[in-house]
This record gives sequence, C-alpha cells and structure tokens, in this order.
Amino acid sequence: MVITENLVLKLEQLTRLELSPEEREHILEDLNKILGMVDQLNGLDTQGVEPLTYLNDEPIVLRPDEVQGEIDREAALSNAPDADGVHFRTPKVIE
Amino acid sequence: MPRPVCRRLPCSTVFAFCIQPFTFFILRDYSRYETVIGLEIHLQLSTQSKAFCGDAIRFGADPNTQVSPVSLGLPGVLPRLNERQVEYAVRLGLALGSEINLCNTFDRKNYFYADLPKGYQITQDRSPICIGGGLDIRVGDGEVKRVRIHHIHMEEDAGKSIHDAHDDHSLIDLNRAGTPLLEIVSEPDLRSAEEVDAYMSAMRRLARYLEISDGNMQEGSMRCDCNVSVRLKGETRLGQRCEIKNLNSMRYARRAIEFETRRQIDLLESGERVAQQTLNFDPATGATSPLRDKEDAHDYRYFPEPDLLPVTLSADYVQSIKANMPALPWEMYQELVTTYGLAENEAAILSEEKAAALFYKELCRFSSNNKTAANLLVQKYLPWCDENNRQPDEGPLSPEQLADFVRLIDEGKVAHAAAYQFIFPALIDQPQKTPLSIAQELNLIQNADSDFLDRLTDEVIADFPDKVTEYRSGKKGLLGFFMGEVMKRSKGKAEPKTTSGMLSKKLEA
Repeated sequence: MVITENLVLKLEQLTRLELSPEEREHILEDLNKILGMVDQLNGLDTQGVEPLTYLNDEPIVLRPDEVQGEIDREAALSNAPDADGVHFRTPKVIE
Repeated sequence: MPRPVCRRLPCSTVFAFCIQPFTFFILRDYSRYETVIGLEIHLQLSTQSKAFCGDAIRFGADPNTQVSPVSLGLPGVLPRLNERQVEYAVRLGLALGSEINLCNTFDRKNYFYADLPKGYQITQDRSPICIGGGLDIRVGDGEVKRVRIHHIHMEEDAGKSIHDAHDDHSLIDLNRAGTPLLEIVSEPDLRSAEEVDAYMSAMRRLARYLEISDGNMQEGSMRCDCNVSVRLKGETRLGQRCEIKNLNSMRYARRAIEFETRRQIDLLESGERVAQQTLNFDPATGATSPLRDKEDAHDYRYFPEPDLLPVTLSADYVQSIKANMPALPWEMYQELVTTYGLAENEAAILSEEKAAALFYKELCRFSSNNKTAANLLVQKYLPWCDENNRQPDEGPLSPEQLADFVRLIDEGKVAHAAAYQFIFPALIDQPQKTPLSIAQELNLIQNADSDFLDRLTDEVIADFPDKVTEYRSGKKGLLGFFMGEVMKRSKGKAEPKTTSGMLSKKLEA
C-alpha cells in the first residue's frame, strides 16, 4: 500500500485536521516509511500461525457496578479550550 | 453510533412532499410494493454506573456532573468493563434464544465528533455477545410473527450536543458519554410501520421484564435506526436500503417509515434508483433527508481495542444467569390465560407491565373470582394508576382491599355498575374504609330478601296487565322491561339474579 496525497487529504477530513502543504509532504513521507517498515512482515511465512491480537493473556478483571471516581464539573471543564461554566463549548457543528 | 447532524430540509424535498397527494391519486399504485425493514435498537442499560468507568448515569442530572477522566477521554486513562453490562446482555440473549458468545472482544469505532471526546466508540465489531435468536410479535389480526435477531453487541453511548441554545456555539454535556448500551440488530423481517411498532413494544416490554432497562423512549433509553427498502411484491431480492437514524419515539418511527416507503416507491416508479443513504427524520416536516454528504461517507476504521482484554465467559456463568431469569412477558401472558382463565385481551393488558401482572396475581391470592378481579384492574384500578403516575403497588389500595371489593360484587351485595361508579372513587378517596362500609354508607347494598322482592314483583305485574298478556303470548323480551320497573322502584337495590328468577316464574305461571 502506498500513501498518496489524496489519502492524506481523506485522513485529514476524517480526523478534522488541517495540514499545511509542508506538513502534508512531511506526513506523506513518514506514513510511507512506517508502512514500508511494517510491510517487511509480509515477507514472513505466517501460514498456520494464529493472528496475535492481545499480547497479554491474563484474564480480564471486570468492575463491580458501583458509582466511583467522578470528578466535579469545575475540574471537568478546567482543561477545556472553551466552556460556559456548565457545558463544554465548541464551534457550531450543525449547518 | 447515531450522529445527530441536523440539516435544513432541502427545498426539493419540501416540494416533493407537497405534490405527493396528487401523484398518489394520479399515478402510483403503492400497493404493488412491499416495505422491508430491519431495525437497530439502542438500549441504555439501567446499571448504576457507566460501561467503562464508575460515573453515575442518572437521567436529568445537571450537565457535566457525572463525568470522570475516563468519560472525558483524558490521556492515559484505561477503560474497565462493568460486569453488569455483560450480565444484562446475556440475560437478554437468553430470553431471545440467542447463542451466547463465550469469547468477547471489543473494537474501536473511530469518528470525530464533539460529544465523543476520545475520538472513538468502544463497541463489539468482530465478536458480538449474542448471535441469532428471535422475538415473537402480534401482527394484524392477532397472528404471531417471529422477528429474527441477527446479533446483539455491547457498546457505549456518546455525550449530548445541544445546538439550539446558542447562536454560534454548540454546547456539550458528557453525562451520557459512556452509558452502557446494547445494540440489538434484527434481520429485515418487518414489513410495515405497524410491525415496527409491535416489535419495538415487545422489545421494550421484554427489557422491562428482565429489569435491564426502563425502555423509556422520551428519555432516550431506547432509540432505533430503521433500515428501509422497498420491492415489488413477490420479489425475493432486497431493494437498495436507506438508514433512518436516531428515531426516539414510536410515532416518529411510524411516520418516518411511511414517508420513506413512499419516497422510495416514487423514485422507482419514475424510473430512478434509490441511492444508499443515511437519513435524518424531521418531525416538524414529517420528511426524511440525507444526513451526510457522500464525501463524508462513514469510514470508521475499526480495529481491536487494545485497552480491553477479551472477556471469556464460562458455561457455568451463563447457566447461573439462566437459572435466575425473571419471568418473561410471554410466560406471564400464558399463565394468565391458562392458570387464571383470563380472556386473551385481558391477559395482554395485564401482562403489558410486570408490576401490573404481579399485582394481579397478588390480588388473586385474596380474591374469590379471577375474572372479576381482572376486570376491576383493567377497567378501573390500572387506568387510575396510569393517570396518577403510580405503580399499582404504590397506589392507595392494597390487593386485600381490592379483593374485598371483588367479593362485594361477586356475592351480589352491590350491583356491578354501582360498585364501579360510586364505591370505587369513594374508596380511592377514603382508602382507610372497607368497600362494604362505603357501600352501606352510600346505601348501595342490594336486597335479596324474598319478602321484599316478592312484594315488588307482584306490584309490577299487577300494574302492567297488558304487558303481561303480551309476554305470555310470546314476547319474552319484555322480561327486561319488568326488570327495569323493579329496579326503578327498588332504587337499584333489588338483587338482579333473584329478581329475574322470581319475575320469570311469576310471568310463566
């Protein structure tokens, strides 16, 4: 697989990022290098090998259904770029 | 996840909507087509806390007060799965006869939206927890139809965006973010808006019986996406479908499906094709319109959620949930018909809500007559509870009191109509009194005393010699007339059974 400029543009759209032409050039190069590196795996014979999805085979520990660990609103909003004291605020996302 | 991106209705849609009545009458034969519908129901689970963290999920809390670093999507946090979400999913799957998947994994569904702060929804894309199964619904004239379930998977809800409070901002409330959901995906087995309604109602009833969700559509605890396509009757291939997103009431679902069916048939009839689209339904116009642009077509880039290990269930675990299953609605219905001898419609009404059915069964423990008891609940007590927003067992009257009431009618002490009309409201107002004492106070106790009735019937027969002659020459329907006269003169207190027996005996003589 080769990353083209069109694919980068699509990824920008999906992630709502806006790159400058220089950044786009840079990312294009990086992504292709990364894919090239991962592509080396295709040289290996994986016939009969189960795909490895999870590195850890410990059993999962489920959480009891209890209310715990909430933070208050002031703390929740404190990192937001924009808030009105009650809600997070974003640019209007509806047309 | 449904994305509530609202758009203004394009003019062309408004226009199409306006001219439809004409096209209907002049050109189209809609009856040649059938509608094919599959449903994705999103069910919020009534747990204490969220799917992957311990925030509360109480509906109506102040905005952004039920949040934590996990639900805010802050860096460095890890999700921890709520054990009750798994339990509730298995409970629903067992009730629907699904196969329970013992090795569950989670996936990330990536999309960018302000009310999804971490940029992905945790869901089950590869290995849903329940596979197959089905739910029976009653359609048309009481016929039973099985709607097959494709699968049920576990996932989490997004937060809420408020678009109309502010001119140039959208406001975000993350209380709902991370609420545990089950998505129940049906096969395309539904054929009309009525069937969708019946299926949604049956699923809601089941969820409430299982106590896994309140199924409250007004509060968004149950919402659905409808996949709608049309095809000529007799055609076996499916038509191109459109998905109507985020319908949060049965009425909207019904209207949206009716509109969409007609829109698709109109397209086909005018030689066009139905394009696969995601649609929004606007209750104000009653029309559906495209939700997303083509270039924005969803590309969720699913991949395995690395932060959650597989959830392996044991057969013993599934067995223990099976062993503790609450009563199911159709079992309750059957019990009311076969064990309690109720008519189908009464059994259906009483088994609609588990609380009502349990209350009825409790009432029958004290009552002498199951049918009179059922009638009393269906006609009087449940409507009263409904109007006053109470559960039957939170109302002013206990099963014992209602059983006394039933006995009063059953033993002929009070006429049925008088009991319903006068004693019931009085008893609601003065629940500390017994039905009998109220009947006495209101002077409604029927008189079965034979001397009293003997005198009255003699009087009436003596006063209408013409009618007596008519009766004796074959006009037996006049018995009602004589009964009416006796009732009038006794002020409604003559016990009807004895009176009617006595009257016909005397008239036949």
